[in-house]
Amino acid sequence: MPKVTINGQELEVEAGKTVIQAALEAGIDVPHYCYHPDLPVDGNCRMCLVDVEKMPKLTPSCTTVVSEGMVVRTDNDRVKTAVRGVLEFLLINHPVDCPVCDQAGECRLQDYYMVYGLHTSEIPLSMKVRKRKVIDLGPMVVLDQERCVLCSRCIRFFDHVTKTGEMQFFGRGDHVAIGTFEDQPLENPYSGNVVDICPVGALTSRDFRFKCRVWFLHSTDSVCGGCSTGCSMRIDHRDGTIFRLLPRRNAEVNRSWLCDEGRISFHELMAGERVVRPLVKGRDGLQAPVTWDDAVRSINSALKDTADKHGPESILGFASPSATNEALYLFRQYLSGQFGASRFEFRSGSEDSKVTAQEDDVLRHVDKHPNTMGALNLGLASEELGGIGGAIAAARSGRIKAGVVMYFKPLVPRPGDEEAEARVAELVRSLEYSVVLAPHRADWLSDASVVLPVAAWSEEEGTYTNFQGRVQFAGKAINPGGDIQPVWEVFANLLYASGDNALWLSVDDVFGRLSETVPGYKGVLLAEAKTVGALPTP
Amino acid sequence: MKKTPKVVNVSDRAKKESSIAKEVLGPLVGMGLTFSRMVDNLTGRVDATIRYPEERRSYSDRYRGTHILTAREDGSPRCVACYMCATACPADCIYIEAAEHPDPLIEKVAKRFEIDMLRCVFCGFCVDACPEEAIIMSRETEISAFTREETLWDLKQLMSRKTLPEYGLGYRPNENLVESRLTFVPKEKVRNNLAGRVTLKEDVEMIPHVTYDPDKD
Repeated sequence: MPKVTINGQELEVEAGKTVIQAALEAGIDVPHYCYHPDLPVDGNCRMCLVDVEKMPKLTPSCTTVVSEGMVVRTDNDRVKTAVRGVLEFLLINHPVDCPVCDQAGECRLQDYYMVYGLHTSEIPLSMKVRKRKVIDLGPMVVLDQERCVLCSRCIRFFDHVTKTGEMQFFGRGDHVAIGTFEDQPLENPYSGNVVDICPVGALTSRDFRFKCRVWFLHSTDSVCGGCSTGCSMRIDHRDGTIFRLLPRRNAEVNRSWLCDEGRISFHELMAGERVVRPLVKGRDGLQAPVTWDDAVRSINSALKDTADKHGPESILGFASPSATNEALYLFRQYLSGQFGASRFEFRSGSEDSKVTAQEDDVLRHVDKHPNTMGALNLGLASEELGGIGGAIAAARSGRIKAGVVMYFKPLVPRPGDEEAEARVAELVRSLEYSVVLAPHRADWLSDASVVLPVAAWSEEEGTYTNFQGRVQFAGKAINPGGDIQPVWEVFANLLYASGDNALWLSVDDVFGRLSETVPGYKGVLLAEAKTVGALPTP
Repeated sequence: MKKTPKVVNVSDRAKKESSIAKEVLGPLVGMGLTFSRMVDNLTGRVDATIRYPEERRSYSDRYRGTHILTAREDGSPRCVACYMCATACPADCIYIEAAEHPDPLIEKVAKRFEIDMLRCVFCGFCVDACPEEAIIMSRETEISAFTREETLWDLKQLMSRKTLPEYGLGYRPNENLVESRLTFVPKEKVRNNLAGRVTLKEDVEMIPHVTYDPDKD
């Protein structure tokens, strides 16, 4: 491996890497617009110029491959003057409308101006070349040609990642602008990514447009709940409202990308009324709000009665592939440990067969649940029942009397969701005694004996297992209102109230036990799961 | 021509300008002013009290009272919903919702602009932060109302209030930089000779740009 010296720091870099990669990995900041780790190198912005010893001129670091004994400086006056000159050129025709630009606060032009520029513009506004503003480019993207620095990241994204090639440069000289042919809308399922990779405010999000200035937002690292790919993402939220979802770079799963459906999946979560209090059906057959303590007591005694009268086989655990691993583990622990239940199921469709099926070549998978692999790893699919159909039949024939059912609304809607929901409703209707854990209100919940308000995705922390078996941690971004509790906490409380001595105080406790006992989580550390995720040791 | 800011070392300047005559006379001048005010009050030349609310004190031209949103030529708000005022606001009392402006060169317009007058501390930071001179302050001070809801002033109320002409304009540091229009015509400032208004006889020299010079101090 070649040894290079960057700013006096000796580094051992893998052969074939470029200078900018070596510098960025070592934490040395090199200004750049066109370089992106997941796109082919273009070298057009000239911002990443560095001084390499024995090279007569400055050289762009994104196209220079490291070689043995290379001595690079990124911080001397020669480099700074050059970068400042390039920046001044880029700003010649920039409209400087930062106050009304959505990119302000996370704009590379602003950032580098503060570090390298701080010059006074010699070009008055009247001399600037004006281009078109506010061009509607489909459901996700708004284009402003004036703000563009012509780095071609968006063009390369469509050329090399989605391979659809919708965008291109148009015009010559000062008048070069990016765009689509005749302003055709971008109807690409990944078009939202060009908004993220745009280093300036040329491409802004139609969904997030004018909603909030970025410096007001708080970020929480999470994992997308839209499908079994489990893309690493960041939730940007303020005052208990999610404003946008952004991809987090994870070379093993989603690189720097996120699909449009995943990007706007939080709207589905925010829509619809929530269950806010635990509801227990009284003798009159009507549900009435009760405290958590009362609900927990009534569930424990009812399930105990069923197990005593009809045997432990009469209790069904119907999990959801949208729940976290911790929730599913404690769910299983509660039903099998306390009542000896052995019938578990989670499939309301054919999730297990769809979990690794790809929807396209980029990211998306057919199964629209984030944790199907986790549910399979925890052994929640029963061969005897073979899906929800078998469970309904068993309940109708009286072999199953009571059941604990989880139902989460899918974040990415697909045809067939309503049928799946109807089957869960059918199951609840055919059970004699049913406990339903659901975040959102639905008509069929009135058939349940007990309804428990639980946190949905982004409201509780926990791990999800994606299609590769990779365990990834999703943080808690917002606080749900009312009496809503995380699912793992509901089962921790139920376990505690039914006399279990183990103390489950946090997700860390549950995950620690999970990684010790279940093979699908062997050797996975929570700290690893919190960054790029971790595969279990075989 | 760019003006280079004049560097003034404040302590040097104080030392240079001090003299025994000033040290002795300075307090005497001050005492003299106090004495003259006393004479004014005792002889009844000025009233010690005013009959509020029929009579009102006239405030300074830079007074920071309730806010005004200025308008464009066509009467629509100048505000471009950039949230600079909301960002600068230490009391977190400004709520803005942005919407698309039909003119792509303006791009953004405030659909909702609300100031919670009970939260506001009247610091004037919003006026300083505004790049468009869209928010300025008036000399109006009275924000009392019968309900809390009435103290939440919306876009319409901030743009035009019947009471504004008699109070007049307050803090508006960049008035000459941007052309803006007010939806009312302020009345001529009424100058009344009231107690508590101190007029200095000699012109006090204003220091243009006092810059701290670390080498000298």
